[in-house]
Formats: sequence, structure tokens, C-alpha cells
Amino acid sequence: MLALIKREIQDHLVYFIAALASSAALIALLSTAAFHFERPGGDLFIGLTIPLIVILVIVFSAMGVTQMYLDRNRRISAFLSTLPVTRSRILTAKIITGVLAILIVLLPVTIAAVALRHLLLPSIPVFANLITGFVTTTFLMLFACYCLGLLTGWTASKITPTFGALGLNLILFSLIIVKGFGPEIRLLLVLVIAACLIRTWHKFTSTSL
Amino acid sequence: MFLSLSLFLASLWCKSILAGIMPLDDGTVSLTPSGLLPDERENDPNIAFQSTVGAHIIRPEASPALGIANHLGNRIFESRHVRIWYFSLPGEDSSWLYLDKSSGQINCRWTDVQRMPDGTSTRKTVQLYIGPEGVSEIPDRKLGRFTSIIEDMSETHLLYDRDLRRFFRLDLRKRTITKGPQLLKDDLHKPADIGILAKNRTILDLYWQPPAMKKSQDDEGRVSYPPPPLIREGYSTYQPDRYVLVLDESGRIDLLDTETLEFAGTAGYLPAPQTLFHSKERVTPDDLLAYRVIPVALKEDHKYRGMIAAAVSREGTALTLAVFDEKGVLINSRQTMGKSSGDYRDVPSSSTFFFGAPWAPVMTIGKFALENLHPPILSLASYFTASTFEAGSGHRALFLLPNSFIGMNGRDARQSFLEKLLSAFLLMGPSIILALWLNWRVGKDAALVGLSRKARRWWMLGTIAFGLAAYITYRLSRPKVTLVTCANCGHPRRPDMDKCHRCASQWHVPDLTPPPWRVLDSAREN
Repeated sequence: MLALIKREIQDHLVYFIAALASSAALIALLSTAAFHFERPGGDLFIGLTIPLIVILVIVFSAMGVTQMYLDRNRRISAFLSTLPVTRSRILTAKIITGVLAILIVLLPVTIAAVALRHLLLPSIPVFANLITGFVTTTFLMLFACYCLGLLTGWTASKITPTFGALGLNLILFSLIIVKGFGPEIRLLLVLVIAACLIRTWHKFTSTSL
Repeated sequence: MFLSLSLFLASLWCKSILAGIMPLDDGTVSLTPSGLLPDERENDPNIAFQSTVGAHIIRPEASPALGIANHLGNRIFESRHVRIWYFSLPGEDSSWLYLDKSSGQINCRWTDVQRMPDGTSTRKTVQLYIGPEGVSEIPDRKLGRFTSIIEDMSETHLLYDRDLRRFFRLDLRKRTITKGPQLLKDDLHKPADIGILAKNRTILDLYWQPPAMKKSQDDEGRVSYPPPPLIREGYSTYQPDRYVLVLDESGRIDLLDTETLEFAGTAGYLPAPQTLFHSKERVTPDDLLAYRVIPVALKEDHKYRGMIAAAVSREGTALTLAVFDEKGVLINSRQTMGKSSGDYRDVPSSSTFFFGAPWAPVMTIGKFALENLHPPILSLASYFTASTFEAGSGHRALFLLPNSFIGMNGRDARQSFLEKLLSAFLLMGPSIILALWLNWRVGKDAALVGLSRKARRWWMLGTIAFGLAAYITYRLSRPKVTLVTCANCGHPRRPDMDKCHRCASQWHVPDLTPPPWRVLDSAREN
């Protein structure tokens, strides 16, 4: 399994580099916003995180699409199946790689947000629930978009994974505007993730190689 | 879910356009004179303008009820729904007032600045811990525990604990907390809010203006008058001294004596806006998208003279303004009205919202069509559960739609149950016809593709219940096989099945036996 994960990381290194760069950018924006919040235009830096998160949604969806599209069209799984590796393990390795990439973005940002809160605010429960809500919902949203990419990427066509995934991801992202960051959206995202993963697993393990 | 989300966004677009083309006057209502002041005062010859009460809907599309705005509004530290009531952070002089749920005590801190005779000032940080039994500078269990409290965020600092069933008055300067008498177990009062009674303030504006006195008259007889202030809630100059308003869960508004911390009578109730389908007479806070209530007093005596209340309907299409006297009797009320497109007579604004403005009928039909693309089973569930949801949550609902036409019909208080059910099925008619047609298509395709009878039955039932969503799911998940012609019956059959799913015939594989005849070469035989 470790060898599979390592192989996936090497094959999709560009996404991990993009994740690191995004994480650094988000930390920079949050820090600037925190230290300049009371000045005019200070909240602009908070506003700039929104397009960055939209870009991350597209990037992780593209990662899922790329993983499955390349696998199908280059017959990577067919080759790996000649080794003592099951298709479920191959798929699990891909998913773990996706989760790692998302965590590379979110973990440093979360640590920075908590550190800023302790540094700049007194020890009263200000913004505690906000940080937890944002981070959890953002993780689930990015993972759901990644799973949508996995689902739409397993095809020989080029149009479906490109435009289909993009359209579905933008519709899914609008769920944040409708439902906010509360428990309702988290439940919906968990259901989307479960449905996508079950369908992907079924397609991946039952398609002839 | 993607279908529901897409339909929601399309429906939101229709609703935003309807809200945008709605005439501004249709969302505004005013009463002059207000009726709160005695007639001799209103008719005084020195009065330039009589007292006025006014309200208007700022945002009929109810964008503050959308999830992200609602979530942030409920989570910022100054919101009523979080523990923190006050928070400011100017360096060393940071101050706060919040309830620590773990200890059940209120934590308060501010900086006292005292001017000395020599002109210097000293700063002293005051930190207090407040419980139902007292106030202390150090946390102490003997102070007791608050559990579930509602509070008045104005300067009076009144609290009500639902579990202790009493009111408390907090005086931070004197560092005292005063307990009111405990409400009896069979007491019908169930306070839901105290003091500033308002919900979704950014959707609704409410104000009153005292009478404007004439100031001077110039040589030409022109009269000038100072513009009267627009008084909204929290305007301390016009606040009654002795009483605050308490909103009950039933929608009744009571008066609370701030000295004795006991109820001092009824002040009025939340008015019920008139919606497209006839709504019930009495409404609760959850039935309204927005409301505001202002107690009325004059600055010369601060005596309580009555209250004004305005409420916006669930759908955001109607507004009612009501004025109550000091005894809680309704003096006057008015609904928002518009002009009907044909004969220009006055009709409720909930009707002109959907049909009054140019292109409004088109948008309404679009909204109705989008609602009929929803699964019929969810539409039926929306009909039965329309009254149970909080009004704001209806504007961000994806699956159960309390603000759809069928949901509004479910809340119709005028019709009997059977009449409502019949009109519900009429409203769902397009949805039912669509579901039946899709069901026929699914049944036909499932038979063609060779699904088992059981699987076909489940898909057909699912399509009747979930309509378009089930049909899309079926099309995406149906077996994708190329059919071949059966040699027995001539219909398409699946090559991956042993028997034809129509005639149950096996595959005909010709035997490799030689024919009984031979071709002989006569020349060779000879």
C-alpha cells in the first residue's frame, strides 16, 4: 500500500506542489487580515481567500479526474493487477493520496488560524466555533469535489471529465451559499462523498481491464 | 441532490427577479396619526405634522436568510444566539460580557477610567463573575449556575433563565444581581425574547415619528419645523422607564416591570400578515420571516404609551403594521397593498408580488414549473410539514419546500382538510403527470434492457415517488449493453444472459454434424 501511495504521489506531484503553494498563500492572507483587520481595507484579505478556495475546488477535482482518466487510458490498473494487488487497494491508495493533498492545504492553515486566535485575542471563546466549522466544511467540500472528479474521470471521453466535473463542482460549491457552514451542509457533503465513492468503487472494480 | 440544488438556484433567481420588479410602494405601509397620543395632542394647532408609524420590507428576496449569511449572523460574537454579548478589543482596554457555559456563569470585564484631581487618570480593570446567586470578583461555585438564558442586550441587562423560570436584573456598576419571583409550574408564560424584540432586522425597517411642532413663521407665512427624529428600537430618549417588552413563544407580547421583575399585563401580539393563501390569525415568532417591535414613550415623561409591531410573512411578500395602546388593545393595523393589473383596485401585496408587476406572471409560472420538477413525494411532504419549519429556514430548504405554492396551500387556514388536499393535488398536477410519463418510459426501457420483474417494479415505484430525479438516476445507472436480435421471437435480447428475457429461449447453437448427402466425383469413381 505504501508503495502504491508513493507511486501516486510521484505521478501527481504537481498537485502536491499546488497544495503547498495554496496553503502558503492562505496563511499569508489570513495573517495579513488578522494584523490589519481594523485598518481600512483590512477585510479585503479575507475576501481574497474565497476565489482561492474556488481554485482549490477545481484543482482537487482535476486531481481526481486525472488520477482516474490516466489510469483508464494508460491501463495502469491492468498492469498493477498482474502484481499481487487488488483493485480495491489501488483505489484506496488513490483516495488516500487525495486526502493527503487536501490535508497539506488545510492542516497548516488551521494551525495558523488557531495560533493567530491565541496570539491576537484574549482567552475567551471568540471565533472558536467559526474556525472549526470553516475547516471541517472546507475539508468535506474539497473531498467531495475530489470524489466527483474520481467518478467523472473514469471514462474514455474528454468532454465528460472536463466540463461535467467542472459544472458539478460549481453546483456543489454553491451549496455553501445556500446552507452555510453548519451541520446540515456537512451531512449533505458526507452523503455526496459516500455516493461518489460507492459508485466509483463499483465502476472501478467491475469494469474489465 | 444536484437536481434539487439546481432547481433551488433557478427558483432563487425567479424569486430575486420577482422581488426586484415589485413596486417599492407595495412593500411600504404607514399610519398617520399613529393613534398612540391623545387626540388633543395630535390636533394641537401648533403641530405641523401628526405622529407617524411606518414600516417597509427592505429585502423581499430574504437574502439574509440564506445559509451563509444566516450562519455568519448567528456566529459573530455580538449575535443573540452565541454566548458572547459584548466584545471590544482596543489593546489593554479590551472588555467583554459573555456566558461561560462550562461554569454557567457570566464573565464580565471592563476598564474603569477615573479622573484624578491633578488631571491624570487611572485605569483599573474590573473582572466580575455573575451567577444567579450573586456577583464576585473570583469564580465561585456558590454563585450558582445559569443554564438556558435569554437576555436583553440593551443597557437594562435583564435575563430570563428557562430552567430556573425567573427573571434577573444585573447591575454591573453596583455589582448586584436581583432575582425576580419564580414563575409557577402551570404558568402559561414562555418567554422567547426580552427587550429589543427583532428578527432579521436587515429585512424589515420599523420606525415612528412623534408629532412635529411648528418652530417659527416667517413674514410670508411659511412655517418651519424641526424634522422629527425617526425612532427605532434602542433609541434611549424615547424608551419607557419602567417596562420592557417580553415576547412569548405563542406570539403574545407581555410587559415586564423592571422594578419587581414580574409581568405587568399584555402589551399586544405579533400581527399576522395576509399571505396569498389565507394565513392563521395568530402567529408565533417562528412563523415570521422578520419582525420588529418598539415600545413607545415620549421623552418628557418616559411613560409607557403603547407599542408598535411590524411583521413580514414567511415568504417575504406581505407586511403588517399594528399599533397597540398601553393596555395591549389593538388601535390600528394596516397591511401592505398593491394595485391589481386589470382594474387597479387595491389587493394584498402578496398577490401583486406574484402577479402584479410586468413579467411577474412569467416568473411566477417559471417558479411553479420548477417546483413541479421536484420529486412528488417531497412536494407532498412539503404540504404536510409546511407549518413546522422556522420561516427563515424555508428560504434555504433544498428538499422540503415550505415556501412553494403547495407549501403555502398547506398553511391555508381557511379551507377544510379535504379542500386543501384536493387543491394540493391540483397544484401537484404537472408533477404527477410528469412522474407518470417518466414511469411509463422507465418501464418500457427496463423491459427492453431485460431487467428482472422485481427490479422493474422498484424502478417504476421509485420514478412515481421521485419523478425526474429517479429517471435521471435510472438513465445513468441502466446497464449499457448492445442488444442482439433473438432468433426465436425477433425482439432485442441481451447477449450476456443465457435466456432471452422475452421468450425465454436459449441460444441456438447449430450442431456440427455432416449432412446426409455427398457430392461425388463420377470420373474418379469410374
